[in-house]
Amino acid sequence: MRYLEPLLVAVGVCGIFGLWEAMVAGGIINARIAPPPSTIAPMLVELLGRANVIRSLGVTLYEVAVAFLISVPVGFFIGFTLAEMPGLGAVFRPVVNFLFGVPKSIFLPIFILIFGVGIEQKIAFGVFTTVFVLILGGISAVESVPRELVTVARAYGANRLQVVREIYLPAMAPVLLESARLGMIFNITAVLLAEIYGARDGIGYRIAGWGESLQMPQLYAALAIVATLAIAVNELLQQLETRLGAWRQRPA
Amino acid sequence: MLRTPSQIRWAQAALAAVILAGWELLPRFGVIPKLFVPSLSEAIGALYEYRAEYLAHLPATLVEILVSYLLACGGGVTLGMLIASSPRARRMALPVLRSAYAVPMVVLYPVMMVWFGLGMGSKVAFATVFAFVPTLLTTVAGVASLSPHLLETARAFGASRWQRILYVQVPASLPTLIAALRLGGALVIVGVTVAEMLGAVEGLGFLITRHRTLLNSPGVYGGIILVLVITSGHEVLLRRLERRVEKFRES
Amino acid sequence: MTQSAVSVRAVTQHFTVEGQSTVALDAIDLEIPPGQFVALVGPSGCGKSTLLSLVAGLRLPTGGTLLCNGEPIVGPVPQRIGMIFQEANLLPWLTALENVAFPLKLRGVPKRERLEAARAMLELTGLGNFADRLPHQLSGGMKQRVSIGRGLVQDPGVLLLDEPFAALDEQTRMVLGDEVLRIWARTGKTVMFVTHNLSEAVYLADRIIVFSARPGRIVDDVPVDLPRPRTFSMMSSERFGALKDRIWAHIRDADH
Ligand SMILES: Nc1ncnc2c1ncn2[C@@H]1O[C@H](COP(=O)(O)OP(=O)(O)OP(=O)(O)O)[C@@H](O)[C@H]1O
Ligand SMILES: [Mg+2]
Repeated sequence: MRYLEPLLVAVGVCGIFGLWEAMVAGGIINARIAPPPSTIAPMLVELLGRANVIRSLGVTLYEVAVAFLISVPVGFFIGFTLAEMPGLGAVFRPVVNFLFGVPKSIFLPIFILIFGVGIEQKIAFGVFTTVFVLILGGISAVESVPRELVTVARAYGANRLQVVREIYLPAMAPVLLESARLGMIFNITAVLLAEIYGARDGIGYRIAGWGESLQMPQLYAALAIVATLAIAVNELLQQLETRLGAWRQRPA
Repeated sequence: MLRTPSQIRWAQAALAAVILAGWELLPRFGVIPKLFVPSLSEAIGALYEYRAEYLAHLPATLVEILVSYLLACGGGVTLGMLIASSPRARRMALPVLRSAYAVPMVVLYPVMMVWFGLGMGSKVAFATVFAFVPTLLTTVAGVASLSPHLLETARAFGASRWQRILYVQVPASLPTLIAALRLGGALVIVGVTVAEMLGAVEGLGFLITRHRTLLNSPGVYGGIILVLVITSGHEVLLRRLERRVEKFRES
Repeated sequence: MTQSAVSVRAVTQHFTVEGQSTVALDAIDLEIPPGQFVALVGPSGCGKSTLLSLVAGLRLPTGGTLLCNGEPIVGPVPQRIGMIFQEANLLPWLTALENVAFPLKLRGVPKRERLEAARAMLELTGLGNFADRLPHQLSGGMKQRVSIGRGLVQDPGVLLLDEPFAALDEQTRMVLGDEVLRIWARTGKTVMFVTHNLSEAVYLADRIIVFSARPGRIVDDVPVDLPRPRTFSMMSSERFGALKDRIWAHIRDADH
């Protein structure tokens, strides 16, 4: 019973690939624009053996990582500040909400005007897209700390530092991680979009190139690599979130 | 200093004034290069100057948005409601959808261009795919967070699956549905403009990219302002809908 | 005359919210000898919680002084005064044992030592078998037992309880009330116990302080002359009823 549902899901996913393969073989789908899994899989292995593809992947990962490492402290810091200073927070709230709602992608051309098409532009655009998620995450993390627990800690003699370490951090950790995970999804999307739009290297740049030159097996194999990496990163952060938030009562 | 509501409102107004004044003055006096950020008046001026062009390209964008909206939100909400009506399907679908949500769908645009070409087809297909998973996920997760008693009670009264969906699940999850539409609609608008920016022959996104290639930054900002008007319009519409639904639920 | 465990002298507390000032406590005088079990009752909003938070050192009064064993209270002194709240307010990410040990952790007591002390406390409150449970895996009554253990773990001379059983059902409330009495008899602590339940007040206390509402003032100081140990059957005695009536009269009047 416990294994039945995941098994069904796995069978379903395999079924889709099988159907795809069969439809190409039966001539229902054009193999030129949608090569079957049996063509894509070997290409995937081949791509992972090419030095320039690996380098492009490295460039993308570097951009994603740097943008994330900048966004997290900056976003959380702004979020905490706005949450801890209620007056200031109330004043800036509409601006933050507006900027959060604004679609970031349409500003991409401006980042080319300012930064060109190099790595800095990808990082800057990644930060620009991600930081608002983390600001809101920081605010709601602070707001999720139960006031009563702060009172308890104070009644038992906690000083400021102890209140932060013993109450704020553990109480906020799951919310912070959740927003970091969401931010990471936005971040990866932003960097890849920037690479497809205009770049000199990166896996997004390669994907755009393979699309233009109709090299479909390469294109699909690259999509598979990107999707797998993104899911893996998400899964990793999700695991951490679950572990640190095990004390949260979850509806069954 | 910032305590009472009226003080806060004054400060907010002041902040808005400072932002707008900064946007106008900083580029004007060369503190920010005009290529990066043209002054507010120049951006609005560009909107007027190129009005014929923008108007000519607006219909294509709006049609693409409308069609993708129907496909992504209609499809996402309907499928979501169906999946959510069965606890088992819900349990199986949620982890798959959460993983799918993590996949950066932008990488699919090159594929869409191969399949559907430079015209409207690839925009509609991309925006639909781009918005579909989040809409579906929001719907399923929203229904999953409803109290299970509600559906069980309906089942105890002998309601069929379709009756349960139509008379219990849909009314109970109206706020969720609106949240799904709100997110899905916003993503459709982004999807369409992004697709137009990446490769197209018409539409607002196409204009934005063309002005960028010509290093005409007022033209770029004009286009961006127009897209923001569309997203804000969508937001306002859905807020209204939300309020109407709340009123309806209260009565 | 022996020194009071808690002295409240001409204590006044004002609150100002958006320019509106309320007098929560108005010139309160109260001397509590060591080992006394005092119940505080009064209409909602009369300042009972405020008084406890002042004794706990969580805030400083607008006027007057508070003393604990003759020394001024200027901030929380958890080794002398333990506080137990209406909601158990356990830290949800700590186990029952770690929650009880929490005050010791704040004081920098080494892990082995504090967990040992906490385990003894859990045994005392009857939760020895639930040491490793997280709060959301405990019932309401069990959580409140943990919270009592946390209040006792530093062996403070004074125990403050702010409606500790208000969120519990009647039976659990009775059982825990007996539990508190048992611990009190064993340890001889001074107790200040806020409650809205008049039977509970009479059943538990040596002395009942009755407050009036806005401004909060003491309107009666009722000695409870029922013998100890208290028993369930006393609750139907005439004396018990008379004490309840006397208190109820004040509260009913205060509401008009
Ligand atoms: N932090 C605060 N800020 C402003 N006013 C407060 C604050 N704390 C208490 N008050 C006010 O002081 C008065 C006394 O409050 P308190 O909580 O002490 O009452 P209480 O006797 O404990 O009531 P209850 O029985 O309902 O718990 C109330 O009028 C309340 O509104
Ligand atoms: Mg109170």
